[in-house]
Amino acid sequence: MKIVIGEGSCGIAAGALKVHKAIENALGDDCKIKIGKTGCVGMCFLEPVVDIYEDKKLIRRLVKVSEKDAENIVFAAKTGDFSKIEYLEISSEDEEFLNRQTRIALRHCGTIDPTSLEEYKASGGYKAIEKVVLKMTPEEVIEEIKTSGLCGRGGAGFPTWYKWNAARQSKMEGKKYLICNADEGDPGAFMDRAIIESDPHCLIEGMLIGAYAIGASEMIVYVRAEYPLAIKRLENAIKQAEKAGILGENIFGSDFSCRMKIKAGAGAFVCGEETALIESLEGKRGMPRLKPPFPAQRGYFGEPSNINNVETFANVAWIIENGGAKFAELGTENSKGTKVFALTGKVKRSGLVEVPMGKTLREVIFEIGGGIRGGKDIKAVQLGGPSGGCIPKKLLDTVIDYKALSETGAIMGSGGMVVMDESACMVGMAKFFLDFTAAESCGKCVQCRIGTKRMQEILTKITKGEGEEGDIELLEELCEGVKEGALCGLGQTAPNPVLTTLKYFRKEYEEHIFEHRCGAKECSAMLRYEINPEKCRGCTICAKNCPAKAISGEVKKAHVIDKNLCIKCGACSKVCRFGAVEIF
Amino acid sequence: MEKIKITINGREIFAESEKSLLEIAAENGIEIPNLCYNKKLKPFGACGLCVVEAKGAQKLLRACSTFPKDGMVIKTESERIKKARKFALELIMSDHTGDCKGPCSLNCPAHTDVQGYLKQISLGNYSKAVEIIKEKIPLPASVGRICPHPCETNCRRKFVEEPLSIAYLKAFAADKDLSSNAPFVPKKAEPTGKKVSVIGGGPAGLTAAYYLCLSGHEVTVFDSMPEMGGMLRYGIPEYRLPKKVLEKEISFIKNLGVLMKNNLSIGKDISFDEIRKNSDAVLIAVGAWKAGKIGCVGEELSGVISGIEFLREVNSGKIPEIGKNVAVVGGGNTAMDACRTAIRCGAENVYVIYRRTRAEAPAEDSEIEEAIEEGVTFRFLTNPAEIIGENGKVKAVKLQIMELGEADSSGRRKPVPVEGKFETIAVDTVISAIGQKFDAVGFDSVELTSRGTISAGKNDCRTNLEGVFAAGDSTNKGASIAIEAIAEANLAAKAIDAYLSDIPFDFFEPYYSKKSVSEKDFSETPKIPREKMTFRNPEERKGNFDEVILGFTEEQAKKEAKRCLECGCHDFKDCRLIRYANLRQIEPEKFKGEKHRAFSERKLVSIERDQGKCILCNLCVRTCGEEAKKGILGLVGRGFETVIKPEFIDPAVTDFCRNCKKCAEVCPTGALKIFEK
Repeated sequence: MKIVIGEGSCGIAAGALKVHKAIENALGDDCKIKIGKTGCVGMCFLEPVVDIYEDKKLIRRLVKVSEKDAENIVFAAKTGDFSKIEYLEISSEDEEFLNRQTRIALRHCGTIDPTSLEEYKASGGYKAIEKVVLKMTPEEVIEEIKTSGLCGRGGAGFPTWYKWNAARQSKMEGKKYLICNADEGDPGAFMDRAIIESDPHCLIEGMLIGAYAIGASEMIVYVRAEYPLAIKRLENAIKQAEKAGILGENIFGSDFSCRMKIKAGAGAFVCGEETALIESLEGKRGMPRLKPPFPAQRGYFGEPSNINNVETFANVAWIIENGGAKFAELGTENSKGTKVFALTGKVKRSGLVEVPMGKTLREVIFEIGGGIRGGKDIKAVQLGGPSGGCIPKKLLDTVIDYKALSETGAIMGSGGMVVMDESACMVGMAKFFLDFTAAESCGKCVQCRIGTKRMQEILTKITKGEGEEGDIELLEELCEGVKEGALCGLGQTAPNPVLTTLKYFRKEYEEHIFEHRCGAKECSAMLRYEINPEKCRGCTICAKNCPAKAISGEVKKAHVIDKNLCIKCGACSKVCRFGAVEIF
Repeated sequence: MEKIKITINGREIFAESEKSLLEIAAENGIEIPNLCYNKKLKPFGACGLCVVEAKGAQKLLRACSTFPKDGMVIKTESERIKKARKFALELIMSDHTGDCKGPCSLNCPAHTDVQGYLKQISLGNYSKAVEIIKEKIPLPASVGRICPHPCETNCRRKFVEEPLSIAYLKAFAADKDLSSNAPFVPKKAEPTGKKVSVIGGGPAGLTAAYYLCLSGHEVTVFDSMPEMGGMLRYGIPEYRLPKKVLEKEISFIKNLGVLMKNNLSIGKDISFDEIRKNSDAVLIAVGAWKAGKIGCVGEELSGVISGIEFLREVNSGKIPEIGKNVAVVGGGNTAMDACRTAIRCGAENVYVIYRRTRAEAPAEDSEIEEAIEEGVTFRFLTNPAEIIGENGKVKAVKLQIMELGEADSSGRRKPVPVEGKFETIAVDTVISAIGQKFDAVGFDSVELTSRGTISAGKNDCRTNLEGVFAAGDSTNKGASIAIEAIAEANLAAKAIDAYLSDIPFDFFEPYYSKKSVSEKDFSETPKIPREKMTFRNPEERKGNFDEVILGFTEEQAKKEAKRCLECGCHDFKDCRLIRYANLRQIEPEKFKGEKHRAFSERKLVSIERDQGKCILCNLCVRTCGEEAKKGILGLVGRGFETVIKPEFIDPAVTDFCRNCKKCAEVCPTGALKIFEK
């Protein structure tokens, strides 16, 4: 019997370490029952998660576990009587969250101990690299990846084999670099962090295969410094791999040698852009370079370099082991394999979701995510973060496919999927992302530096109820100009949140501008708070909680809000027990 | 180096593969606009102006960093490219406070390069100063004496203590130049063989004649008066503008080869059609010599005379009989000239009747002051209700007392009569100085505006008649100040020159990036008082027409010119940004929003930096790193907040700077300036 606690960052945040400690204490020195840890299984809404294994078989999955459940868990493990922990067991409904997924990149997440090389090897790890270095030529590796149809999972969706081949062809002698982009910056996206935290060896293996294919002797992982646990686990994995002869000289006795290092990035969003990432790696300010030359020609310190995203690498070993054709069986004509999404927002079940390409958004949101929480209707789903767009309810049957998603105006992106219900203001949504890109623009090119700033200013104006006729047209002109002229992907895609909301929710913009009304009641500047005298009982709680002292009235008599003093913070509405505060 | 064949704008070009498209285009005489490119530095790609289209490429390419491939087909101009460049420029301008030209120059109707000539005066280079002035004003000694100087009114030095004495410095430089051994002589183009007739020898006509003559055309000026000069001669009294000064400037123009014919009235001595027939182009610049009416009973009486007529008489050398008591009606500069001239003609009591107060009077305040000094009585808030006569001759004027009511559309408070309140003063003469009108007699075929002035194109001075142009007081909005007429004549000369060369001409007002300032911006500027002009004392000046001002000494003039704050951007003439902005006719206000604050900081050894002008092209940063091998400068912050740093004032940094000034030299927009200690 083994008790395994999910200890990814999110599990830890939910209290997994305390649970671990409590179970350890409850166990005492009983050595029949083992205790272990694993990474993130991806069910954020159920953390902390504790699994009980018997003979390496999962027999019980316990969710939302707390310290006080430790005794019961240990009792159950010791006695085999699980009745006391029935209340902790995952519901069959919530099990659907995992059952309906197809996991390749996340195949080990939540199932193995990320700090154990043995466990990774026991689950079939490092067999692919062994096969590659001993039995395959680099060309064969590239061919296999080509067969698989794997495309970059970082956002742009460029065929991986093509980049590898370009880097391979670039020059035969001298140094080459393989770089992993783990600078996951989209707000709400955490796929890469989960993979590194939960399965660091899988990244090392994927990268080694790539390095072998292009002929690189050095690998660098550029990971955000805000991911300390990921860095720690990856460092540990690198040490283990070096010790085991998997990293370093003559890997598996072959003449392939490759080293690996980690570079912690300081958190600039633009460093997720590959050329800016290289600048940052070189110790310079993170600003995109002009392309061409592409990194495959002149990259890190002028040497040919290939950059892929974490999730891309996480697929590679699986493809080698199972064959590119098997991978290509999954998905659509244009998009092969699976894609990981960080499903968040107003869904009932949020977390990491890996599905085959070709599934519809509706399937992901309703079958895996369980639909909308709180009984409201879905309004839209945002894909691809600041570079992506909003897809409206009527297009929920769009399939997950690079081309199909692009046609809606959104993008596949790195995997952020934010679900919004009717209470979301789409102008506010666009503003949220423009606030982000305007602040994260590196400042190099005019179009992005000033263009996103101007867009943000207009959106701010509109959400404040100060929009004017012509603002929409000006926004459109800015979108078009920035898209056309910005230097890098960050700038070129920055208008997408505005363009898609304008495309599908233009009426909302018009409402804000011409009627000074936010239908979703999110733009506080345009709201009006009033107390319904029929409902008010004069309990005074609203007046006591009003920070602006805008509410007056006698005890047991209807209260009134002074519009001139009201700062529209909503405190009254939150504390009123009678629903008397009405918002217009 | 490998040579490959590419096509640019349909031209086949053999190019070196190591050179960027921008370089290749430049070598082949094709200009691709750019702001952040410098041949010595690595391409950067910030401004996005150098975009070009390549056949087969989806995206626009930045020419500065695109290298040719064999068979590449490039377009450097297209609607798409134009749009992208315009967009980039509009964004740059939305966060650029260039302060291109000082308010003096911007507010001068002729846009004279005031800062430029003041600099030359401060250095004692008077001929050089006059050369600069004469790019716009061919009569600086005259204009400098009489101009109501909007330049001075708007001079930023007023936020420190007092504006510069710009107008008089102009006259000073011109006097010096005229009396020097080697006065400035402008370059004249080869004769074109084209004939231009200018009707009217006032400031507008003489100005146009000057520039048209310099362009190589044969110019004849026709004037109905015995002498040239127009209102400068017949409207402005001698004590303000001595005739000999004006004559010197007119003979200078004459000596350049302008033919001058006097005593020829159109329609009387010579017909307009005849002049047209004998010319390739005609400019009408006859001015506005007809007086406006007071509009009260008794206006027809003997002893009622218009200001224009009165001044013309006196300026022609006659002293009209005006008696001891004279009323001058009006509050403008003509009224001031009339009342002060009346004093000089022996009148003892001179009243200025003006229906508003001193604050609203259009006349220069200094003119009012000088008139008071000379004994003129101002009757503000009065209006002639009736001119009372006896035996057909003026005896008195009945004044309606007024008060100020509501503000009118011009923002001035409207005078309204105080019911039943009148006053009568005994006068011998009433001089009406209220308005001037164009006299259309002799110009029957010329189309007029509803105001009775000649309708002339605002951007080309064209009238309804082929080859006939018009400028000055006789056109459009009517009479104004001399410098306005000169500005219009400048435009007319350009339009006529283009017309004679068969080149299309449509002037548009260039865009300048402007900065607004207040006293706060100058709190640390040392105060240097304005040089005091010396005047003859009022008693001494009453009985004669000698010039009232005594002028500056050379030392004073230099000192005064040195007070110039040099507001206009030092890089204006070489500024590619403003040039592109005007070439593309952008809408600089389109994307208005938050701007970086414009302020100068003098920190790095000898460099002054203005954040408002910086467009973040990074040329300074890259030059410091790549050329000077110092790497002192860098970008700090993200997004819109990005600025160039480090803090220059840090001694560790300034010590490291070897003061090579390369950063300032490459700055394309004047954000970095080398300052002289």
